[in-house]
Amino acid sequence: MPLLELIGLSVCVDNKRIVEDASLSLNSGEVHVIMGPNGSGKSTLLSAIMGLRNARVCGGSILFNGLDITNTPSYERAKLGIALAHQSPPEIKGVRLRDVASAMAKKYGCSDCTLLAKNLFVEPFMNRSLFVGFSGGERKKTELFLVMLQDPKLAMLDEPDSGVDVESIEVIARVIESLRSRGTGVILVTHTGAITEKLSRIDKVHVLIDGRIAYTGSPDVVLPVVFKFGFRKGLEVLSRGV
Amino acid sequence: MSTRERALSAINKPAPYGPDIDLSKYRLDEPGVEEASELDSTVLNAASRVGLESTGLAYVQSNERALYTAMAKALEKYSVLVLPTREALTRKPHARSLAWKLLDPASDKYTAYAYLYGGELGYFIYVPPGIRVPIPIYTCLAITTNNTIQFTHNIVYVDEGAEAHLVTGCAIPHGVKDGVHIGISEFYVARNARLTFTMLHAWAEGLHVRPRTVVSVEEGGEYVSYYVTYSPVASIQTYPVVYLGRNARAYLASIIASSGRGVYDIGSKAVLEGPGSSAESISRVVARDESLVYTRAELEALESDTRGHIECLGLLLSPSAAISSIPIITSRKQGAILSHEAAIGLIADRELDYLMSRGFTEEEAKAVLVRGFMNIDAPIPTSIKKQVDYILDLVAKHAVG
Repeated sequence: MPLLELIGLSVCVDNKRIVEDASLSLNSGEVHVIMGPNGSGKSTLLSAIMGLRNARVCGGSILFNGLDITNTPSYERAKLGIALAHQSPPEIKGVRLRDVASAMAKKYGCSDCTLLAKNLFVEPFMNRSLFVGFSGGERKKTELFLVMLQDPKLAMLDEPDSGVDVESIEVIARVIESLRSRGTGVILVTHTGAITEKLSRIDKVHVLIDGRIAYTGSPDVVLPVVFKFGFRKGLEVLSRGV
Repeated sequence: MSTRERALSAINKPAPYGPDIDLSKYRLDEPGVEEASELDSTVLNAASRVGLESTGLAYVQSNERALYTAMAKALEKYSVLVLPTREALTRKPHARSLAWKLLDPASDKYTAYAYLYGGELGYFIYVPPGIRVPIPIYTCLAITTNNTIQFTHNIVYVDEGAEAHLVTGCAIPHGVKDGVHIGISEFYVARNARLTFTMLHAWAEGLHVRPRTVVSVEEGGEYVSYYVTYSPVASIQTYPVVYLGRNARAYLASIIASSGRGVYDIGSKAVLEGPGSSAESISRVVARDESLVYTRAELEALESDTRGHIECLGLLLSPSAAISSIPIITSRKQGAILSHEAAIGLIADRELDYLMSRGFTEEEAKAVLVRGFMNIDAPIPTSIKKQVDYILDLVAKHAVG
């Protein structure tokens, strides 16, 4: 049984259809990459899988470990083992990272979150208000830290490599490798593809254009074409057969 | 006209703000002072609502009974004098020279009643020059019976270069439904002295609360006030005034979690009298049910080279609650810099959604956000901050029901 199955999923934001008829299947321990141009619906797709209220499912269904979670609230999905590293998490004044992390550690039974914080270099901002004044790299590392605290079965990382330095990309890649090695399924949304070069294994790449999964293939086939021709022209090349 | 005659003339004078209370409907008990080796369970119940423990209390007042405690004696080793005001006025000329000097008994009917019928209960605290009291001085004012008026007259004098941290919890135990609390406070902060005053309130739906406070801060002195109220109340109206001398500073923070159908009219005024003086007034309001909250904050600069800032933020948790923020800044000299900001809003959906995606239920996420909203970096000692944090955790839970 796949860990995650999307069956003809359509997602609406403010009554506008952003994702159309998306289907994919991901097994435990697999790493799938979703790529696509700006505004193609990548983040909306992840929001819908996570159950965020602004991304309303307006067609199709989401199965997690065989369970239909299409109408399950996000906090229940989190408890089932789904975690999302948000692309642009909100600044929450007054709520310290330490307080959220400690409440989550209790919820998810994390025993060594201090070590985790150290390994992800988030210790220096544990006493700061969540994401207030954080740099791009600090935001990404904090999001990964919180995802790791959840010890998820499915981790979705929304553009973890955007706006971060080379060292941070190394850290993020190590986290993805660690997730995969423990059997976590990973969906990685990337705009630039920078992170893909650092990963030892990617199982599938999905190209999302205008809200549709326009192509799914192996990384060896898809990535060189996308890097060389871009998304739209690359899709033509891929469709003709490389 | 004598002070007594002036007080009598003000016996029906309403306060400028807040609902007017007919005090004649309430019982006036005979005031008394006694030594207490143990506190009864109703007082302990009230104290626990504001996070106070019986062993650490220097002064306790239950209704119209002032109780000495062992801690008052323990504070003597730091040369700190803690006495019921009534005792102090009899035995200490210094106390007499301070009573009713900052506050006019004829200010309104509440001060007049306190002057005429209060019996001068309350605490008198004196901290000698240069003494930095290492432990907080805890006091508790409790109302344990229905339909009564509790009066308290508190006088605090922190002498030159001294420092003290005072925590006062005002509460009633569960089960007491109505009454009136009138608290008169006159605080003196001498040259280069520092007083932090943390006031924690936990009342009940039928209680009317009328604190009347004036603070004088001399040159180089600092006064920090941190006020938290988190329970339902019939009405509370307070408007403490702080006078600041040359280079004196004040930090006035209020955390108000309103509920029920209560009227919370809570303000403060800082008068920047001395050059170089400064004041900051911060409030956070979380309003639910049908409560009505007015936050008044006023800064008045009488000298140049003075600074002041007001920040009032409110969070509405119910469509039937209301918050009015009323900042006033008045400058009477060029060179004074005064500013204010005020904002009232709802819990942001995006923040709520974010926390829910981390596994918090909607109620848990709201409590986290409300708790965060009330976090302010007040300059209070760590030991008190711990206690305040405990109370704010309660406030957050209470605020989201």
